[in-house]
Amino acid sequence: MAADSIQQAIILGNVASISATVQNLLNQGLAAQQILDEHLLPGMAVVGERFKRNEMFLPQVLMSAQAMQTAIDILKPSLISSTNAQKRETVIIGTVKGDMHDIGKNLVRIMLIGAGVEVVDLGVNVPAQCFLDAVIQHQAAVVCLSALLSSTMNNMREVVQLFRGTENLKTTKILIGGAPVSREFSTDIGADSYAPTAPAAVEQVKILCGL
Amino acid sequence: MTSRERVFSALQGIETKRVPIGEIGGGYTDDIIRKLLGETYVTGADAYYQNHLLVRQLLGADIVGTRVVGPSVEIIGTHADWGTDIFRDFWGASYTQPPEATVQLVDPIASTPEELAQWTAPDVNSFDKKPVTRWRKNTDFFVMATLNAGFDLGYELLGFERFMMWTIQAPDVMRNYFEKLIQTNLSLAIMSADAGADAILIADDLAFNTGTFVDPVYLRQDYFPLLKTMITEIKKTGLPVFFHSDGDLRTIIPDLIDCGIDVLQSCDPNANMHIPDLKKDYGKDLTFMGNIDVDLLANGNQEDVRKTTRELIRDARQGGGFILSTSNVVASYCKPENVSAMYATAHEELI
Repeated sequence: MAADSIQQAIILGNVASISATVQNLLNQGLAAQQILDEHLLPGMAVVGERFKRNEMFLPQVLMSAQAMQTAIDILKPSLISSTNAQKRETVIIGTVKGDMHDIGKNLVRIMLIGAGVEVVDLGVNVPAQCFLDAVIQHQAAVVCLSALLSSTMNNMREVVQLFRGTENLKTTKILIGGAPVSREFSTDIGADSYAPTAPAAVEQVKILCGL
Repeated sequence: MTSRERVFSALQGIETKRVPIGEIGGGYTDDIIRKLLGETYVTGADAYYQNHLLVRQLLGADIVGTRVVGPSVEIIGTHADWGTDIFRDFWGASYTQPPEATVQLVDPIASTPEELAQWTAPDVNSFDKKPVTRWRKNTDFFVMATLNAGFDLGYELLGFERFMMWTIQAPDVMRNYFEKLIQTNLSLAIMSADAGADAILIADDLAFNTGTFVDPVYLRQDYFPLLKTMITEIKKTGLPVFFHSDGDLRTIIPDLIDCGIDVLQSCDPNANMHIPDLKKDYGKDLTFMGNIDVDLLANGNQEDVRKTTRELIRDARQGGGFILSTSNVVASYCKPENVSAMYATAHEELI
């Protein structure tokens, strides 16, 4: 019953109730990984699907993501200490240098967190070298690059070239997104993938991570 | 036929020999104006007006976007990370512009719904009408005065995520916030009408390329009634109302028609907003403006631009109700030769 209410709290973005419910389940002896896999992630999957179908909108998704983040923060110590915990893939995300736009990037971050991915958000106006440093620091599997402007999308090329020219990081998976970019542009600059929407970005990240 | 007459004809559903063409807002960034004007680019105290006049004359534009102007921004400090000025705008939010990047919000007008409930909109009596009057008196451009409403300006002043979440967490506060912003912008609209504007442009982004930011049900309940009141009051001045929003607006076009808008601007082809299709569905109620992709002007070649412009004019001009423009404004990263090609094509495609 409590487990069902976690899913509902995620779908409804009920931050107030989720802390107590998650804590309750932990107290009852349910494993953190089980709470994450069987209740939280399915809840966010519903949110992602509904968003894709225009049945949920940005404010609701933001509330769900906040509830998800609250739950993950409670589970994190148990997840880290558990020997059975599955390694969560880490994704680096940021808006490329020169571009301060973050709506699309934040939406992708939120939906990735909802999909159970560990996300390191570098923010906006991020120089190419910072993406590289972050991948090394966090041993990340995928880099997501965002740009809203035609003038800044070309800075994605610089990031891709930096990775492709760096020993041991040549094969880092790079996904690009944002209003002016396209599949053709992604191929042209040597990125691994392109996503036209936030839900599509989540799907692409899962493919790139082999999930 | 003057530029004004050409645009008014489009609004009345009259097809003109040449389609009207022009941009909303400032229309063309200074970078692009400099490139287009070359040696004729003017410097000095009156450079803004002179260059905007010259570039429209060079391109053969019919429209000028302008606005009643508020007090200058106030420099209030230096950003710790970037060393750039932090400036506070008329509304009370503060921003900075990091090196080689776009402007970023530093401090919103409120950090909690309680603070927002206490926020009061500033007095607009000090606004200067002269920019509108000057274009109206000295040129025959169609003069469009730009202002905002409650949504786009609302999230600019609060930050996007905060704004979006408060629509759920504090709906009464947000409705009250919309009322304040709309009332203030309505005052600016009346002032613009007094100054001689030919039309009011409400800039109010409501959507991204896959649909509206928020549930249309929410907009219908908490936002559109206020927008409708604003537009009804503006139309008492006799001016047509243009409405700008990026994104896919198809689910709310009937609502915008009900609010009383006359023209929908942007119509980004990347957002499923093709003007020939929109005219078939809503052409009896609305005029459409836009549809040339800014990215085409940035990344395409002149032949691509000519072909796209020709095809759009061919498919959208019948029966008026169409104004050619970019789907936003001519951004600094557009190629000047592509901008010239778009405007030249409009001048060649005559009936």
